[in-house]
Amino acid sequence: MSAVVEPQDRETRPGPRMMHSEDPRDVGWVVQNIPCQAACPAGTNVPAYIRAIAEGRHGEAYEINRGANVLPGVLGRICSRPCESVCRHGWPGNGEPVGICNLKRSAADQKSTGHRITERLYAPTGKRIAIVGAGPAGVAAAHDLSVLGHDVTLFEREQHFGGMLRYGIPEFRLPRDVVDFELHNALRLGVELLRGQGVGNGPDEVRVVDLLAAHDAVLLAAGCMAPLPLPLKLRGERLAAADECPDVEHGLPFLMSLHRGERKSVRRRVAVVGAGFTALDCARVATRLGAQEVTIHIRTAEEYIPVTKEEIFEAKREGVRIKGLRTPVGIVVDGDGRLCGVEFVQNRLGAWREDGRRQAIAIEGSEFLEPCDTLLIAIGQKTVNDFLDIKVELDQWHNVRTGEDGMTSARGLFACGDFVTGPTTVVEAIGRGRQAAQKLDAWLMGKPRRKRVVQIVPIDEPLRERAFDFIARQHMHTAPLHDRLGKGQPEVELGMDDKQTLQEARRCYLCNLHYQIDVDRCIYCRACIEVAPRNCIKLVQGVEVLADGSYGSLREAREWNQVGAIWIDNNECIRCGACFRACPVKCISISRDEFVELDTA
Amino acid sequence: MNGTRHHVIIGTGVAGNQAARTLRQREPASRISLLTLSALPFYNRYDLPRVFHGVHDWREFLVDPPTYYDEQRIELRRCTRVVNVEAKRKTIMLGHNEELPYDTLLVASGGRAYLPEELSEYRPLLDGFASFEDAMAIRRKLPDGGTLAILGGDMIGLDLARTLIDTGHRVVLIAGKHTFWPHQETPEQRQELLQVLARMGIEILDADGEGGIESIQAGARGFATRRVVFGNGRECTADVVLPSFGLVPSVEFMLGSGIGIERGLLVSPTLRTTDDSILAAGDVCQIWSGVEKRYRFYYGWKNVRAMGDLAARNLTGDDEAFVPAQDETLHIQDGVTIHSPFWEYA
Repeated sequence: MSAVVEPQDRETRPGPRMMHSEDPRDVGWVVQNIPCQAACPAGTNVPAYIRAIAEGRHGEAYEINRGANVLPGVLGRICSRPCESVCRHGWPGNGEPVGICNLKRSAADQKSTGHRITERLYAPTGKRIAIVGAGPAGVAAAHDLSVLGHDVTLFEREQHFGGMLRYGIPEFRLPRDVVDFELHNALRLGVELLRGQGVGNGPDEVRVVDLLAAHDAVLLAAGCMAPLPLPLKLRGERLAAADECPDVEHGLPFLMSLHRGERKSVRRRVAVVGAGFTALDCARVATRLGAQEVTIHIRTAEEYIPVTKEEIFEAKREGVRIKGLRTPVGIVVDGDGRLCGVEFVQNRLGAWREDGRRQAIAIEGSEFLEPCDTLLIAIGQKTVNDFLDIKVELDQWHNVRTGEDGMTSARGLFACGDFVTGPTTVVEAIGRGRQAAQKLDAWLMGKPRRKRVVQIVPIDEPLRERAFDFIARQHMHTAPLHDRLGKGQPEVELGMDDKQTLQEARRCYLCNLHYQIDVDRCIYCRACIEVAPRNCIKLVQGVEVLADGSYGSLREAREWNQVGAIWIDNNECIRCGACFRACPVKCISISRDEFVELDTA
Repeated sequence: MNGTRHHVIIGTGVAGNQAARTLRQREPASRISLLTLSALPFYNRYDLPRVFHGVHDWREFLVDPPTYYDEQRIELRRCTRVVNVEAKRKTIMLGHNEELPYDTLLVASGGRAYLPEELSEYRPLLDGFASFEDAMAIRRKLPDGGTLAILGGDMIGLDLARTLIDTGHRVVLIAGKHTFWPHQETPEQRQELLQVLARMGIEILDADGEGGIESIQAGARGFATRRVVFGNGRECTADVVLPSFGLVPSVEFMLGSGIGIERGLLVSPTLRTTDDSILAAGDVCQIWSGVEKRYRFYYGWKNVRAMGDLAARNLTGDDEAFVPAQDETLHIQDGVTIHSPFWEYA
């Protein structure tokens, strides 16, 4: 725990009971031991905000979230929850993961009206930045850059801000008043907002070269809005090509036009192809538009699709069916050119792909027909960059390539979010928007102004009780089926009440608590080992030190004469505090170790 | 073949028990562990309707005496929950945090009753019929001459229905698309089959014709215990409501194993998964059919037993493909009796 730095922030000023560290062992400990935070693309300090909720400080929990992910009320509803997939409570033998996302929503819903917003504003820099695109990445970047003192102008082609949040995600998952509130919170620090202002080569559009000339930097956050084409064979003589069929539509444009207020309709039997949130949203929208049978057809299987189990459950509850192991290869139209079926080929599962998903391998000669009247294709999106009137380097996917500094090959032109990576999730876009803001700021100011360190605060006693480990995961109430499918698309998930929120918050292991044994004071009585609920306290020969200086795996001792130390395996530790309470010589200490951002100056 | 291998079988249903039996015959020296969540050793689930004929002693349902497992040196571990299978380490994680290593693993965990998602909020008001304990619970709740409402009406539920008609109870079938599961009948056959059920004394309501099931409610004190409310406002009262919508494979504990899963574990015709040391048998697996060019389930006691036997043989050196052991068609005999292979048990 060396390299104590002097912070600029009062709230994090070190003292006898607090220190800051950049030691690789401390940094490595936080990365390895707080899996939820490590998995969050925005780096949200999950244990900290859940602890604040458990103590009834919902406003503070909301602010902890906002400091990392900018739009907690939005993400508390529609986040893809990478944190919950790695939550220690969900590891084999530990039960179900903590409802981290639901708690985020509880913090947003249950904070007091008019609670105090915390923004650590920097002095104005006089630098002017244009951001193209007001989706999650653009909004996050605009927020951070305005906090850092820059004059930000946000250009949005649509009539309203929010990008995918407003035009891609249905209202029954994300009410628009929540979007409005959160965007207003993020953008009210002097960001100039230009709605309905396209950037490109059109007659009423602003050219990128002109933006570059008028600003110190330009950040492209135009998202990933063009649907991927799906080549389909056509059976039927009325049409020349499958995409001429009026009953075949791409999912994202379908949702976007609906959310712009256009009238949309589907026929009786709807087939949706695709395996992401957009496909699920299309299917659930189709049920609300009056479809009688809605089926999602996927290439692999339900277990491998990148959406939450809750979304799948709710879709099924609304009558949506999911059929796996099939790839669409063609459509069949009748004499009037109307769709009457989709032809699929049967798949088998292949190897695991690098992205953690499963390959699907088509089986030759296994074509079969599924009757349907409307086909919605939601197999993914790609970026569109033909609006750029400046030559920039592209990657193999034809996305704009950026360097380590976040800049494209054109000086002063930065890019971030899905516009660079291709389609991801809202939380990833926000995380990347914030990273881009840091890099852009560093370029403008000549050096990084913020850095991440580990803050270590001693804790006097365990913050959890063993009984908390046996609380079952709390499930969010949802709207009754007959209320959902009526007019107005009412929100399906209704949030958790106070009692549920408290119970769920108590389930968190608080992985940011670091239990350590002072081996110089330990008398090796084994009292801690006797009371440990898991194999979490170990007699070890030594501890592996990794190349970056952080600790690796433990080398456990098999004989007494091999014992070099007694060590708390924080990977196994569920922070119940039993060892702390049992130790007769009080040689076990607890500290709260977590990342904080400090000024570099 | 190495006679000291540790074979672990998850599930003590027809497939798991048959596999253990065959494994012991073929490898007298190997270690066999049989894991089950149930408190009881293998018993005849197909026989559970006998509970309503006055057979209430669980020992009457056991297929093998309790001493069988000791005699065969089969380590039967009851009340044991498997929470994860780590295929790379060949280790099973049990609910009480024990790690159990294996050399070969046969997953024969079967299926559990499927409850459609739209009815899930009524789960506390519904009864199951998957175990001896479930059957006894229904018996206790159902008074003499009392009413059972069956939602869906798969062949398991219909088996109970015909028993309860025989024992003087009233049975209401709320029919829908899952009626006669797992059989796939034509609309014409379906009408005929429903008429036969009606002639057997089962009252039939068409769920869709009634506007769908709107809700299930607990009745007020002094009235029928449950009310099924339909979309058109009509109600059906019953002492017990049994969802009967077929089975879904019990595969949750395999999700972290890396084995291919669609609805069940995906296996080759030789019942092998994508991991050489893991096979699957029974209602939990979807077997590749080269003829139909798709993965499919095979139901029925004889098929399941044949799978258990085949899996054990393939674990011990054979490499044979599964051949269905029973006809899957549903038909009406003499115009009055429904004949389903799903009801055959001997």
